[in-house]
Amino acid sequence: MKTTVITDQEREKALATIKKPEVIERQKLNVRYHVEDFDVSDRPRRFLEAFAAILKHSNYKMVLDHFIRMTARCSRCAVACHIYQATGDPKDIPCYRSGLLLDVYRRHFTLGGMVRGRVTGAGYLTDEKIEEMADSFYNCTACRRCALECPLGLDHGLITHLGRYILSEIGIVPRALVVSVRAQLEGPYHNTSAVPVPALKDTLEFLEDDMFEEKSVRIKFPTDVEGSDYVFFAPVSDYLMEADTLMGIASVFAATGDSWTIGTEDFDAINYGLFYNDRIMERVIKKVDSETRRLNGKRVLIGECGHASRTAKNFLPTFCGGSDSLPVMNILEYTHKVWKEGKLKLNPDVVTEKVAYHDPCNLARNRWIVNQPREVLRSFCRNYVEMTPKGEDNICCGGGGGTVSIDEIRPYRTTIGGKLKADQIRKSGCEILVAPCANCKKQLRELVEDQGLNCRVVGFHDLIYKAIEFDDSLKVEQEEGVDQVKNGQGRPSDGEGK
Amino acid sequence: MESLLHFARGPLFRFCLMIMLLGLARILFLDLWEAYRAYRRAGDKKMPWRLIVRRSLEWAFPVKRVSRNPQLYSIASILFHIGLIVVPVFLFAHIGLWKKAVGISWPALPFRWALWLTISTMCFAAVLLIERLFVKSIHSLSRGQDYFWLVLLLFPFITGFVCANLNISAGLYRFLMLVHVLSGDLIFLLIPFTKIAHCVLAPFSQIVDALAWKFPPATDQEIVETLYRFK
Ligand code: SF4
Repeated sequence: MKTTVITDQEREKALATIKKPEVIERQKLNVRYHVEDFDVSDRPRRFLEAFAAILKHSNYKMVLDHFIRMTARCSRCAVACHIYQATGDPKDIPCYRSGLLLDVYRRHFTLGGMVRGRVTGAGYLTDEKIEEMADSFYNCTACRRCALECPLGLDHGLITHLGRYILSEIGIVPRALVVSVRAQLEGPYHNTSAVPVPALKDTLEFLEDDMFEEKSVRIKFPTDVEGSDYVFFAPVSDYLMEADTLMGIASVFAATGDSWTIGTEDFDAINYGLFYNDRIMERVIKKVDSETRRLNGKRVLIGECGHASRTAKNFLPTFCGGSDSLPVMNILEYTHKVWKEGKLKLNPDVVTEKVAYHDPCNLARNRWIVNQPREVLRSFCRNYVEMTPKGEDNICCGGGGGTVSIDEIRPYRTTIGGKLKADQIRKSGCEILVAPCANCKKQLRELVEDQGLNCRVVGFHDLIYKAIEFDDSLKVEQEEGVDQVKNGQGRPSDGEGK
Repeated sequence: MESLLHFARGPLFRFCLMIMLLGLARILFLDLWEAYRAYRRAGDKKMPWRLIVRRSLEWAFPVKRVSRNPQLYSIASILFHIGLIVVPVFLFAHIGLWKKAVGISWPALPFRWALWLTISTMCFAAVLLIERLFVKSIHSLSRGQDYFWLVLLLFPFITGFVCANLNISAGLYRFLMLVHVLSGDLIFLLIPFTKIAHCVLAPFSQIVDALAWKFPPATDQEIVETLYRFK
């Protein structure tokens, strides 16, 4: 699928910065996102030191060596990148973008590069080059679609990931991301939105009442129940904005009777470390591990959130015990599994609108979760349509790689980043767009608003909640067993938690 | 000129071939050694082999990928690569040389096929060159070596074609043959030091990509300490 290049007017709007000139001057950094004040002296040297430290303690050297030995510059990746397709600017070609960092590596960390640099006196890392990387690596949404189109298998998303990591070590990182992470790692409430536990519990109770009113079943959000099968981590923003998603998830558990719980020490699945710093990612993922172990849970269950799921799935084994680490599951996998087992009754007459499913890059790019949600949706959404390309080839919503959290670049995200996606949505003619990811949801809603699309963006479990039906027996039992529910079991009549 | 040709075909060819083989063996070894080290250090050793094999095959036989997203450059590049590999190895006139140099021989390509493959390779090289020169996105990415290689690769094809198919004077024939052999030698010599190293590295890209996301555990503290030491 292709899109047209934006007009000059759109370009102006998308690339405008709201930053004050004095801030740009003070920080010596002209990028569109806000950055906390940082040491601007001697930046190239500090960048190289950070690069060296990271290379020493990571596996990135391997991949950089591999890439610099063979990059062919064929520009095929250009057709894959939604950013380049919208801007038509050669600087947005994935290969150009990763070339920025590969050049630094070649010049300063390889013998040939160093010798050539000495002889020609060229190629030194400068403040301007750092600024270009700071801009470019946050224009990229790290969706990794281009990696699929590279005949030589260069993963440009990985280079973006590494570039951001190094930049963050010298203080260049979007303020929106650092502030959230600070709240999560150092704040009193251990989550990115600084939601206090009492507020969380109030929300859950409120949702429980809502569900009772709507479904006549006492569905619970069990908290801090030890020994549960699943310890559930949702992106914390769900507790503030995605009531239907949460109610859908709780309903599924109510229907299956499996034991699950939300830990109140750490309940936020969000891990912005993936977007800018591996060390941060490690710290956050360890909290997920320790909370699950504190509660003696058997599995980590991540809610509707692409990056959080990928981080937990891929990096919990990395940082928390390798093959002995806790198993990780995404909620879509769980729901698909229990649906296949025939434990969910979904009414096919409730959702009659045209429904399409958006693949979050972090779930689909590696073919992890592609067909599971589709199978479930097709079973009860009569009017299900596909958008193409899909699955591992899906098009990014335009807010990936943490850029969706950077509010000041919204015009960029919805004019450039999401342009191809908007075209795709429009073409599908869907009325309901299912996006099982907190980040995609936020971006897509803004896209719908800014591009005037005619659809509603919902979570996967929002539709499940709409369509789910409970056994009458459960309803009756629920009425009688309210007290038992409070003990934390998904199904009150089950008595002891499973 | 005769002796020069003899030299270029004999000792020089063997020397260049050896440099190429040793050079490629070196980078392949370094690459795989790094990959092995990365694997040893990785906190999570479970490799997504199915995905790796699948994606490697997708690019070893790129029909699906390219037909899904047809780009003139990609199509020309694939056809160009076919000629590039098949002609030098399976041309009748070359097999004798190979036999002399490395002592083994294999069946040759029928003459007509070889002729058409040579023509097509030259045409597709020209397409690639034109695209590199005139298509904005490709032009903006192209480095000196990208043009250099296309031109260099054209030399043995054009000279070989002329010598084998056109009626030219003996002097010109010998001169073109010399250019043909020397450019071939130069190609062999340069392969391991340039992007053409992808001929041995590309098959491992998917493994490297997968390994690249397998980080060593507990680097947080180490990196902080190293950075602190720098200060
Ligand atoms: S990772 Fe995605 S956004 Fe970044 S360069 Fe590749 S296709 Fe473009």
